[in-house]
Amino acid sequence: MHYTRVVVPIFAVLLTVTSAGLFPADVAAQDRCLECHGSRSVISSAKGYLYIDPRKFAATTHSRIGCSSCHDSVSPRHPADGLRPSRASCKECHLPVVQEYLSGIHAEKAVCSDCHNPHTVRPAEVVSGADMNTQCARCHDNAKTIKSHAAWLPQAELHITALPCITCHTGSEQYVINLYIQTRHGDKPQHGYTPASYDELARLAPVGSPVARVVDANGDGTVSLEELKSFHRNATTRGMRLWGMMMPEKITHTYQILKNRWDCTFCHASGSRALQTSYVAIPDKDGRSIRMPVEKGAVLDLLYGTPDFYMMGTSRSSALSIIGLAIVACGAMVPLFHGTLRFLTRKNRKDTHHGAA
Amino acid sequence: MAQHNKIYLNPTPVRIWHWLNALGIVTLTLTGIQIRWPEFMNIFGTYKAAISLHNTAGIVVSASYILWIIYYIFVTGTLLKIYVPTAEDLKHGLFRQAIFYFFFYFFGKPNPHTPTPDNKFNPLQKVTYLMIMLLLLPLVIFSGFLIMNIGPLREVIITMGGLKLLDGFHYLIACCFTAFLFIHVYLATLGHTPFAHTKSMWTGWEEEEEK
Repeated sequence: MHYTRVVVPIFAVLLTVTSAGLFPADVAAQDRCLECHGSRSVISSAKGYLYIDPRKFAATTHSRIGCSSCHDSVSPRHPADGLRPSRASCKECHLPVVQEYLSGIHAEKAVCSDCHNPHTVRPAEVVSGADMNTQCARCHDNAKTIKSHAAWLPQAELHITALPCITCHTGSEQYVINLYIQTRHGDKPQHGYTPASYDELARLAPVGSPVARVVDANGDGTVSLEELKSFHRNATTRGMRLWGMMMPEKITHTYQILKNRWDCTFCHASGSRALQTSYVAIPDKDGRSIRMPVEKGAVLDLLYGTPDFYMMGTSRSSALSIIGLAIVACGAMVPLFHGTLRFLTRKNRKDTHHGAA
Repeated sequence: MAQHNKIYLNPTPVRIWHWLNALGIVTLTLTGIQIRWPEFMNIFGTYKAAISLHNTAGIVVSASYILWIIYYIFVTGTLLKIYVPTAEDLKHGLFRQAIFYFFFYFFGKPNPHTPTPDNKFNPLQKVTYLMIMLLLLPLVIFSGFLIMNIGPLREVIITMGGLKLLDGFHYLIACCFTAFLFIHVYLATLGHTPFAHTKSMWTGWEEEEEK
């Protein structure tokens, strides 16, 4: 008993120290691997999959642990020895995710790498809904998907284009909104938008400040609704806009549909609980992304001025609602006032009645 | 006891259109309330049911509007005569009619306008119905059509200022219709009996008091 209590912490400390030392060395070795595998010439001398795009790889979490963490059998004589290096299986690091995936409906149809290329994989918050759906569409034909959803879902095409499939096909009870910044290409509102690059945003940040200050003006690591509003107000003049994407709070690999997703007001209601937690993701210098929490609240209301963003029942304008209700109230007042006077003066019209609808 | 003459004021196609339109507008109003304020109002069970019904009613009202236009332009050819106010209407008629409703009516003075099949609306009605039938209704139908087809018509919508603007526009016109509905139903009770005009829109025959 006492023996275990002493040995386990020592072992843990040793492991930590070893790991800490191991990663930088591996990252250094990684540069050597990319001397060949990061060059397109490797495609002509071998097969295409041997090419690793260094920029895309650098943006992945996997780049932090280095090539040899997964390909640990590369010999000093590689590639002259002709031996194919080993490949780690995903479950060695991602066991809980793999177990969850294997219990789901997809397990027989696809393996991890069919959807996630380990050399280009990016965190969910910086992958656009369209990118995610491209993966799904490799098996699930887009036209067929729209058709099958249209049987019950109003505006099926719009939903499928605007949302990642995993917004509904998930085991996550809650959602978050990931906001990111897009740049317009062209001078008209209908011109396309793409996610803003680090360079584009860095130009807008105060000189010498981190890029996050573009939105997080006071640099406290969180974005208040006021800061978000202020950025959004100026965004249009800079040819930019904020764009929001609903994502499950917890990415699951079960792909089930929870009962409440069939209820449209899960999303289409103002102040819906599902739409109160938000983050802003901004690209960082190294290709990774900075994710900052936003003050709780109905952030989608901020996107009021965005021309093609509107969620019925969710992002309605309160001012417009009041104006509309005032118009209706004026209409209702006519019968009320006229009717009262009509009642009070009824004796005057004993014989005469003429009106029009 | 006043004598009553009967005039055939509302032909069958007009009556069918009127009641179909009435059902459509009321359905659109109620479903529209649920669509805009789902957390406060649930009349039709689910949000999806409200949307489907709203879309269906919108199509019915649009189709009946097209039939209405065809009827008045090509069948009777009386659209301009009935709905467009004359210079005299605008110069004096409007004022006279408004003064009647808001002043002389309460003193038992007779209505300055007597409906006939070719001139069934008073100047105030002409202006109101002209605005409603030839401006607001086409606009609400057009905006509703765009909202129903956001995917294929996205470019058009963005060029016009965006979905939010379009939705606001659709909503405000709908509010004008709802406001008008209160006034319309109320004014319909100003006949020689409270249901005289409603009856006329059901049977076609308007009973007219002899002055």
